[in-house]
Amino acid sequence: MNRIVVLLVIFSLGAFYLIGSNKEPPLEAYTVIPEVKIDSLTAERAYEEVMNVLMHPRCMNCHPTDDIPKQGMDRHPHYFGMSRGKENKGFSATKCATCHQEANNLNSGVPGAPHWSLAPASMGWQGLSRSEIAQRLLDPETNGGKSHKELVTHMTEDELVLWAWNPGVDANGIPRKKPPISEEEFKKAVEKWFDEGAPVPSK
Amino acid sequence: MKIALQVNGEHHSLEIADENTPLLWVVRDLLNLKGTKFGCGKAACGACTLHVDGEAVRSCSYAVKFADGKKVTTIEGLGNEEAPHPVQQAWLEHVVPQCGYCQPGFMMATAALISKNPKPTDEDIDKNIINICRCATYYRMRKAIHRAAELERQRLSLTPKNIENGEE
Amino acid sequence: MAKNKISRRKFLVRGGLGTIGVLAVGTYLFRNPIRRQIAGALNTADTPYLGDTSTPVIWFEITEENIVILHSPKVEMGQGTFTGLAQMAAEELEIDMSQIEVVHAQSISGNVDSFATGGSTSISALWVPLRELAATMREMLLQKAAEKMEVEKSTLTISQGKVYSGSTEMSYAQIAEGVVEWEVPDTPKLKPVSQMKWVGKPVPRVDLADKVFGAPIFGMDATLPNMLYGSVVRSSKIGAVYKDADISKAENMPGVVKIVKEDDFVGVVAQSFTEAENAKNAIEVTWETTKNWQTQDIRSMLEVGKGTPFVIQKAGDVDDFLADDSTVESSYWSPIGAHAQIEPNGALAHVEKDKATIYMSTQVVKISRDEIANRLGLAKDQVNLVPTFLGGGFGRRLHTPNGIQAAVLSKAVGRPVKCFFSRKEEFQNDTFRPPTHHVLKAKLDNDGGIETFEHNVSSGDVAFGSPMVPGIAEPILGADLGAWRGGMVQYGAIPNYQAISWRVQLPFATSWWRSLGLLANTFAIESFMDELAVKAKKNPADFRLAHIQKDDRGERLANVIKKVVEVSGYKDELVNNRAMGFAASTDANTPCAQVVEVSIEHNEIKVHKVTCAMDPGLVVNLDQVKAQCEGAIIMGISASLFEKMEVEDGALTPTIYGPYQMAMMKHSPKEIDIILLQGADAPGAVGEPPLGPIGAAIANAVFRLTGQRIRRMPLQDHLQV
Repeated sequence: MNRIVVLLVIFSLGAFYLIGSNKEPPLEAYTVIPEVKIDSLTAERAYEEVMNVLMHPRCMNCHPTDDIPKQGMDRHPHYFGMSRGKENKGFSATKCATCHQEANNLNSGVPGAPHWSLAPASMGWQGLSRSEIAQRLLDPETNGGKSHKELVTHMTEDELVLWAWNPGVDANGIPRKKPPISEEEFKKAVEKWFDEGAPVPSK
Repeated sequence: MKIALQVNGEHHSLEIADENTPLLWVVRDLLNLKGTKFGCGKAACGACTLHVDGEAVRSCSYAVKFADGKKVTTIEGLGNEEAPHPVQQAWLEHVVPQCGYCQPGFMMATAALISKNPKPTDEDIDKNIINICRCATYYRMRKAIHRAAELERQRLSLTPKNIENGEE
Repeated sequence: MAKNKISRRKFLVRGGLGTIGVLAVGTYLFRNPIRRQIAGALNTADTPYLGDTSTPVIWFEITEENIVILHSPKVEMGQGTFTGLAQMAAEELEIDMSQIEVVHAQSISGNVDSFATGGSTSISALWVPLRELAATMREMLLQKAAEKMEVEKSTLTISQGKVYSGSTEMSYAQIAEGVVEWEVPDTPKLKPVSQMKWVGKPVPRVDLADKVFGAPIFGMDATLPNMLYGSVVRSSKIGAVYKDADISKAENMPGVVKIVKEDDFVGVVAQSFTEAENAKNAIEVTWETTKNWQTQDIRSMLEVGKGTPFVIQKAGDVDDFLADDSTVESSYWSPIGAHAQIEPNGALAHVEKDKATIYMSTQVVKISRDEIANRLGLAKDQVNLVPTFLGGGFGRRLHTPNGIQAAVLSKAVGRPVKCFFSRKEEFQNDTFRPPTHHVLKAKLDNDGGIETFEHNVSSGDVAFGSPMVPGIAEPILGADLGAWRGGMVQYGAIPNYQAISWRVQLPFATSWWRSLGLLANTFAIESFMDELAVKAKKNPADFRLAHIQKDDRGERLANVIKKVVEVSGYKDELVNNRAMGFAASTDANTPCAQVVEVSIEHNEIKVHKVTCAMDPGLVVNLDQVKAQCEGAIIMGISASLFEKMEVEDGALTPTIYGPYQMAMMKHSPKEIDIILLQGADAPGAVGEPPLGPIGAAIANAVFRLTGQRIRRMPLQDHLQV
């Protein structure tokens, strides 16, 4: 038993273990701006509001630059190795639609909306600056040939875009976080920004 | 809600109180087809995979309302001992299952894969077959998937019409 | 009961368990062929069959179609036991594989195993008793045939389920027809292995077609007329004790039949699964909790030196061990592991006035039955536990309170009730593989040989606290035999060595997880052996061989090591950016050595090829032994590279596949080469031993690729990129 006592002392001194707790990276993608009355939006303010939404994980997660959809507020890579596939809808047999249907599933927590898919690779935003994202959004070469008018329609009417404000619950039944402003405020900001010619501040 | 759907070739007209009930439970508990399994209820393991209009779907996360008017195929409808589907034939030849619980989901996913892609590469298999098997029968499964594709190609070459159509 | 009335030499045919057109033949052994001391059995993990072999119970039925149905007291969870047992029985019954079927013995048949299905013991434990039973039945049939044909028994011949006398033949079914009293002969001599027809062959699994065509064979698939669905509220917090529940909201939910409040739990019975789940989520339970546990709390409890030590192995003199400066010391860790079997735990119970029938996936038929009988206040023979095929076992189904809960709910509504865990409940209420901490020390001599070696393993309980090891046995056993499985030093030529098991009681349930302590213990010991080999500048395989003692056990270990080196072309160097890693283990007398080929691609550890040489003794089914090796290897890759549970704010997490990362198709090696040596004339352990070396073998390969000695599982998490 003597030996055991010795061991006890040695080991309690010796062996310390630090937990590898993978804490989620801080969310710095969008900037907090003071509350403003939407009606009094300047073009620049509207731009900031729009970009805050676009950079929110609810939007950004499906605009990857590495072909891998992201999940959650920590924007981790989609589990199980899912990626873009040939038509932005997953692989030939296991597609986005294998799990994602036209509406959120409140039993499983799997999100869903019409034409659930990744944004085209040309519309990858992840890792880009706000102004780079805006440029990709506005450039018909990258945005699928959309005019400003068509962009406004897309951004204020497309059901997959607007899913961001109806994001359902996660696998644990907890409601997903929505973008920083309401759907109505977003629509107004989009309209205002495009009304003003969609200027991209150079900073 | 009234739901009309075809399961393994049989027409069913069902009165479902909650239209968001997962198709899985309709198939298992209402139609008593137990081959489609519950594993996680979160579309994460793939044990509940079946086909809706020829596409692989994880039925635990598929509201029955979406199946209205559609054709559903489960493992029971894929083939039988007298006429096994190429995937089932390959699974028999390679003695794939251990506990067997996840296998119907894997076989349905594989059947969808070879119907879209009758000559999948290892990489195609890695990307498309992302169900989970705790007995870890993956090693034999990969061989069986290649064999199933081979059987499928043989079948297609016997009926050239099907080649044009792609899916059966 | 009838058993007291049956003469020692004769007994009556028992009822056919409700089946029609079936002739049921019960048989038993006169003498118990396995009189081994339990302590000895535990020491080698060589568990004898613990069923009742002294009273007549149903083992075999013969159908009118001349099919023999074997009632197995061991359950089938994928390990292939049914197929192996069928081969063994067919051998002595002189029937073809197409003439035998295997079913689970229902507890009411009396053919109940007191131990469990687990620990890689089923085939080895039944190797002699089952063949003796089959041979006894064959002789009984021959005797009856002689009487019916009115010829001498010695003139009869037997083949493929038929008995021949000249040109006259009788099938077993014809012989058994109408017989109500059987003569039981002395146990016949068994056929030598050299004359066996089925044993050793790669016979296809007897359950193959059912599993390929989606037959409803699992506990989850059981149904009864008029069945309802149940769901039980389970806490997500460690140590939470149920106090009370507010059911006012849940009561009025759609489909709810009844909310059942018991002293220890609350559950719902509803018309459908989803309605039961929804109502359950609306119940507000008051839980009593003690502490908000975190992973760090568990880790610090676990440090070697904090638990209760027990020396499990000692040789030579290690007293001067710690005084010397030249001692090499390393510390290894393994995380909490989840079973994550795909079929959730559950049960279908039908409780009637004086009886109860329970269908469930369980590895402990007798314990499940007894617990349910206790709770219901019924006699044990009033409860029929009907085991089903298991959608994965891995040790998860050794604790089965789910059976009790289903029975209580059924009793409350007077109808059959099926209930089962949600996936989140599975993850949070698992009986986990305990986390471990290992401290290893060694001293090398001047020639680079190991002079002294010590392994300390600190682990949560595995066998202790389980219904299979009664608390009374704990002080006798001292150390948890499950926790130290694989923790002994297998290199007996080392002059001085010892192994110490430190027992830590964790605040959550830990238990059997396929291979028990083997995975973690071998990861630590064989990684450390590699460290020593590198330090001694020796080839790692040769280094092991140099420390193996010269006896039967040592020879078998040396043989698998030499074999794996030869077949894999093992080299202690990089080839095409791939490294080979080597490790070996001995589990339950089965030595196993593995070589892995590993590369790192996109910062991920990738296992390309595994060569595995194992000596499980006599191989009953070549194909299924290989299947067990393949599965165990990939499951071992999964656990070593990816899997871990954490404790956050008092809850075990994650609660779903994905976040609980497991190996998938893409992680599976494309080449697995299994070589089976058969260095013993009886079957040994198969299902768990090949899980031993894999973690260390991968870590040893990663060291050669990167220079990093990863001492913590899961390895991928700790790879510095």
